[in-house]
Amino acid sequence: MNKNACFHCGDLIPKNLSITSTIDGTDAHFCCYGCQAIADFIREEDLSNYYQRRQSNAINPNNKNTEEYKHAFELLKNEDIYPLYVHVDNAEHHIQISVDGMTCSACAWLIEKHISDMDGVESMHINLSSSIATLIWQPSKIDLVDINSAANKIGYYFKPYRSDIEDSNRSERRKSSIIKLGIAGVGMMQVMMSAIALYAGEIQGMEDSFKNLLRWSSFFFSTPVVLFSALPFFRAALRDIKTRHFTMDLPVSIGIGLAYVSSVYALFTNSGQVYFDSVTMFTFFLLLGRFLEESARQKAQKDNRNSDELSSVTLIKNSDTLLYPKSKLTSGDIIQISPGEHFPTDGVIIQGHGSIDESSLTGEYLPVSKSIGDPVVASTINVDQTLQIKVTAVGTQTRAAAIERLTQRALSEKPKIAIVADTIAHYFVICVLIVAVLAYGVWYFIDSSQAYWIMVSVLVVTCPCALSLATPVALTTATNKLKEYGLVITRGHVIESLASCNHITFDKTGTLTYGKFDILSISHKNKEDIINYCAALEENSVHPIAKAFNATKHLQARNVMNYAGKGVEGEINGTLYRLGNWSFIKNWGNDKEYASSEEHALTLFLATEKEIVSVITLQDRLRTETNATIKNLRKKGYSVSLLTGDTKASSLSVLSESSFDYFITDQTPEEKWDWLSNKTDLQHTIMIGDGLNDVPSLAGASTSIAMGQSSDLAKTHADALLLSNNISTIENAIKLAIKCKRIIKQNLFWAATYNGTMLPAALLGYIPPWSAALGMAASSLFVVLNATRLSK
Amino acid sequence: MESLYLLIPIAGLFVAVGLGIFVWAVKRDQFDDLDREGERILFDDEDDK
Repeated sequence: MNKNACFHCGDLIPKNLSITSTIDGTDAHFCCYGCQAIADFIREEDLSNYYQRRQSNAINPNNKNTEEYKHAFELLKNEDIYPLYVHVDNAEHHIQISVDGMTCSACAWLIEKHISDMDGVESMHINLSSSIATLIWQPSKIDLVDINSAANKIGYYFKPYRSDIEDSNRSERRKSSIIKLGIAGVGMMQVMMSAIALYAGEIQGMEDSFKNLLRWSSFFFSTPVVLFSALPFFRAALRDIKTRHFTMDLPVSIGIGLAYVSSVYALFTNSGQVYFDSVTMFTFFLLLGRFLEESARQKAQKDNRNSDELSSVTLIKNSDTLLYPKSKLTSGDIIQISPGEHFPTDGVIIQGHGSIDESSLTGEYLPVSKSIGDPVVASTINVDQTLQIKVTAVGTQTRAAAIERLTQRALSEKPKIAIVADTIAHYFVICVLIVAVLAYGVWYFIDSSQAYWIMVSVLVVTCPCALSLATPVALTTATNKLKEYGLVITRGHVIESLASCNHITFDKTGTLTYGKFDILSISHKNKEDIINYCAALEENSVHPIAKAFNATKHLQARNVMNYAGKGVEGEINGTLYRLGNWSFIKNWGNDKEYASSEEHALTLFLATEKEIVSVITLQDRLRTETNATIKNLRKKGYSVSLLTGDTKASSLSVLSESSFDYFITDQTPEEKWDWLSNKTDLQHTIMIGDGLNDVPSLAGASTSIAMGQSSDLAKTHADALLLSNNISTIENAIKLAIKCKRIIKQNLFWAATYNGTMLPAALLGYIPPWSAALGMAASSLFVVLNATRLSK
Repeated sequence: MESLYLLIPIAGLFVAVGLGIFVWAVKRDQFDDLDREGERILFDDEDDK
């Protein structure tokens, strides 16, 4: 096991920190006490099987505010709200719960096992695809709040959930595509069996009566496939004709329709050749590709459904505080936000002052100090003080919603990447139709009895089956392979554009770096002591800086006071200390002198009233793979740029300007997008980011990839999600995409060559019907097999 | 070989019944979670012993 990664969540373990437990006889190292507590608890409950079975790491529990989840369940007890979420069946109550923190099926097993064992819980069933659990419990025996805190203990977080119309529509659509896919798959297999017998019969000879039987049986099996499973293609083709905007659906429909109709004609007139095998195989593979793409897209969007969850806020009314549903807030309401909570709406601070973490909006990981009269924005986090705000905007009026609208605009202006096969197929189909009609016309004068069959064989021989399968099968295979790498594709064009990209843009904080602070230097001879002092002062702080200090020896600090935006003060062993920025120390007690040398790093001071004890510099940590990845990409001829909202100085502290082609700092979200859209020489750009501030540029870039830990909005609008959070995956992904494109070209070349050489022979009437059918199936199969090379 | 006249329709009947069960299962939400069910068998439930 990697010694530097946390046993539980897989995060990098900070230097100088050693937290270990024995799990299943091996030493496990942790990044924080939160992870250790969860792992210990799981071991005590005899559930450590989880660690053997899981396929991906758990989430880090430190970023979760358990109060928020607890309050939601306390609010649920309100009698107006309870019936909206809970179905009462005598002593048993049923509720749907949205589960946060699940990463693989082992998680679902762990939760079910742990919760079902509780007294009073009748059943707990988790749907991993949608992250929704169905819980049946007896309120007389156990409280929902306790069930939630039991889940918190093993690192998962519950909220009451209510499915809406869109949910049930989506699930209906999904069911209908599974049924269509299943019928196409079974139909294909049955028809293939008959087809193989028919091929053999053509070669060895077969009695007409058996031949007829097999033809009829394949007709029965393929009819539901064509009339039911392939329906979406026909509908889309009709829409194409109405809007005069041709997509692949039109040639696909023509292919399926013609091959089927002529087969049926052949069957009833007992002449010609049947092509049922090709029709069903073709339909099945196309449906499979579309189904996988749709599933991936739904997975990316499921995170963005906060509106259906019951979220609670603390409302202040007539100087009383009460829990209140977030969805019912209106402008002018006064709400109280505890440390660690998200702001549910936009508002203005009316009481208190504190630090606010706006990283989801600006990408700046250091909290900003705000006090009375300052505006706060929905989805940012209150770090250290209890604040009261007056709501100024809710729902679609908020700043986050405004960014969402900006994103919609960027999406609509996004350059459409034409898929090669679409254009080829478009002209190909028109040509084939003209040739077929001409052939009919010419043969009508030569031999009118043959004219129809010659036209059919022209159409079948040139059927774009292999041609239109060529692209989707390769894309489907590559998409699945990329998923193994930890890159989930949510839009169809990604592989095409990964292969053709020439420019890669990275956001800094959270993308190239971990977005966590590390100690760069300490000016003192005994560094360990200083860290212990700082850790004692910061012990109860949720500020990101506090996480940089990990004590080797526990000291007790008394009378600790938090000064928002400045630092902390506290007494250790009878001496009063302050830890904070320069303005916090400068005029405290004796005047102090400090000549700054390291301007760009974050500098903290540990001081007594008399003197500065130590100067500590912190910096964001670069991901271990960052430098190697950038170097490799540039070596391969890609231009690489940095596009960040951070200041130039702070960017330079971890990255060097010379390792990038463009080094763009101090950008607002709007400027980021502008910069990208004005770089016309960099049309094929991949943008990789994580924050809300990256969202417009993510949407505007020709291909966008969001980190797995991104804000929900960034995930929804990205073309792909980098779930592994490992940016070196990009390199492999590009390599695979290029290989995929090569295979698509081979496939297209094969299909076009096959169709092209068969066409003249068919025109002259030289193609025996059985060989046309065999050739058609073989050319489709070749295309499919060629694509499977990608999965190796 | 005449048995084919009987066997193929019987096979067709089986397929129809199988598909019927499949459609029923999908409609009863049994295919809602494609990510998990395939792995459920890997987690032995000592309780059931």
